[in-house]
Amino acid sequence: MQDITIILQILWTSIATSTYDVLFAVAFALVLKVTRLFNFAQAAIMTIAFYTAFVVVQWLEWPACVAFIAMLATTLAASYALERIGFEALRARGVSVMFVFVFTFMVSEFVAYLAALVFGTWPQTIFPTMFWPATLVGDIAVSGWDLPAIGSTAAALAAYFGFMRFTRTGQFMTGVADNPDLAALYGIDKRKIFLVTMLISGAFVCLGMFLYGTRAQVLPETGLSLMLFAVAATIMGGIGNVGGAAIAALILAVIQNASILVIPSEWQGFLLYVFLFFAIVFFPNGLRLPRRRSRFSTATRDMPAPPAAPPAESQA
Amino acid sequence: MEYLYGIVIIVGLYVILATSFNLIIGYGGLVSIAHPVFFALGAYTSAILSRDFHVPVLLAMLAGFFVALVASIALALPSLRVSGDYLLIASIGFQLGVLELIKNVRFTGGPGGFTNIPPFLIREFGRESYVLLVLAVVAAVIVLVWWIARSDYGRAMSAMRDDELAFASVGRDAMWMKIAIFGLGSGLAGLAGGLYAHYFRFITPEQFEILQSSAILTMVVVGGMRTTWGPVVGALLLQALPQAISFLQLPPSVLGPIQGLLFTGLVLVFMFFRPQGLVSAKNVWRAAPAAKARGAR
Repeated sequence: MQDITIILQILWTSIATSTYDVLFAVAFALVLKVTRLFNFAQAAIMTIAFYTAFVVVQWLEWPACVAFIAMLATTLAASYALERIGFEALRARGVSVMFVFVFTFMVSEFVAYLAALVFGTWPQTIFPTMFWPATLVGDIAVSGWDLPAIGSTAAALAAYFGFMRFTRTGQFMTGVADNPDLAALYGIDKRKIFLVTMLISGAFVCLGMFLYGTRAQVLPETGLSLMLFAVAATIMGGIGNVGGAAIAALILAVIQNASILVIPSEWQGFLLYVFLFFAIVFFPNGLRLPRRRSRFSTATRDMPAPPAAPPAESQA
Repeated sequence: MEYLYGIVIIVGLYVILATSFNLIIGYGGLVSIAHPVFFALGAYTSAILSRDFHVPVLLAMLAGFFVALVASIALALPSLRVSGDYLLIASIGFQLGVLELIKNVRFTGGPGGFTNIPPFLIREFGRESYVLLVLAVVAAVIVLVWWIARSDYGRAMSAMRDDELAFASVGRDAMWMKIAIFGLGSGLAGLAGGLYAHYFRFITPEQFEILQSSAILTMVVVGGMRTTWGPVVGALLLQALPQAISFLQLPPSVLGPIQGLLFTGLVLVFMFFRPQGLVSAKNVWRAAPAAKARGAR
């Protein structure tokens, strides 16, 4: 039987460390929802973001806020280039989704090899140390990293959902995600919407990588394994459901971290692939909770059925 | 001479891998990057059976073929049930997951690798005999894929790849065709794995990582998909490149990334500027009117 304090500590740490997983899942799910692309080049953007911060902090010895601004600039520039040079050209040629996937995968691999050549294959962090001072709240240790990570992730998600709900561009993004051709017919500039989507996704990746790089060690190929987690969460959350992906990422991260209580730590990484397999086999359309019956649906259910439409011949 | 034999064998094995991958991605239109993991499954199965269970090497190699075939079906069945996109994602997870498993279990030798794999033919008949065996398998695989591609089944494969809906509407089962193609292609990769293990006699999980996926994909894309000779040209070219780079005497920490950059960079360049590859595929439907006319006569 485990001590309740240990369980609560693991739960708290899991929630805090799930923040970057949530951000990566949202970034991946958003691009998939609006552009319908499995954007594995997100791993390349993660790599670019991390090594930008690494150079600014470790090589140039500039402060963290400058590193974050530099990260944001490079991730947005990389997202812009990816959309304008890569995806737009491929869309214009009418290539298949698979072809685009291979392209995104190769871009990620190319950037990973480039990073390995320039920065070496040993693990790096943004700051020289990963130690964060902790404060005891009751019996739970809360590190100096936890609250800013949770706060910034919550703020980013609130800003995203507010943007989608209350701005014209956000509504246009929903329109393009639902039916791109119909949206174009209504005068929505699909090109602009795809670009905005990539830029928002890039901003999420930037924040997520800043959090990850200040907490864990990064290798040139780290982006790909982080991506797989985002993919599993996106599938489990339901493709096209960005909020679902965020919740699924949170749950999966908590399960993965809490698994230390029951399995050896070297098998924790393997759990990710089990999640991915289960997501594809058992929840290809996402986890669906039973719908709560609203008053409207109850009322419509109790109404008499409308008369059947007359057959086409009789209408004629 | 031993060095030369080693190169001939490695090029031959990559021709098998690229040709069998061409069957999957080119003729079948199934995008998966997990080909190296089936190569690994074949290598580990054959090595473990022959060394630890004293199974005759030839039988162990065949077992490697079947294990890779069965594993590929186990991967394809649930993912293709949903959609082709999922096969791609599942293949990445499957490759990394199996390699993680190999690193963590004891009987595979873990991350340190599996050593003392029994040799085959070399002690009795010399290295030349193994080179001949590999070349014979290479020829058999090329002929098999060429024959499948030009048979009625091959035309059905093209129809399924080009318009799955129309293919299903004439009563054909696209899913089982995809599984058969994926299974056969992966099984051949497993056979190549067995041949690799019993010549080099040492295997580690690192030899089957994502770099291999990029390398095999590059061979097919650069050589030319849906052609008999494209993957052969691609394998020859892309095995010659690392050999040329190795003469530069670079340290391994630089050599690996440079090879990776070459592979991925070439795929990206070819995807944009010559998507048909070095050897262009013929239009499979071009002969259809002539065949129709012959049929009418």
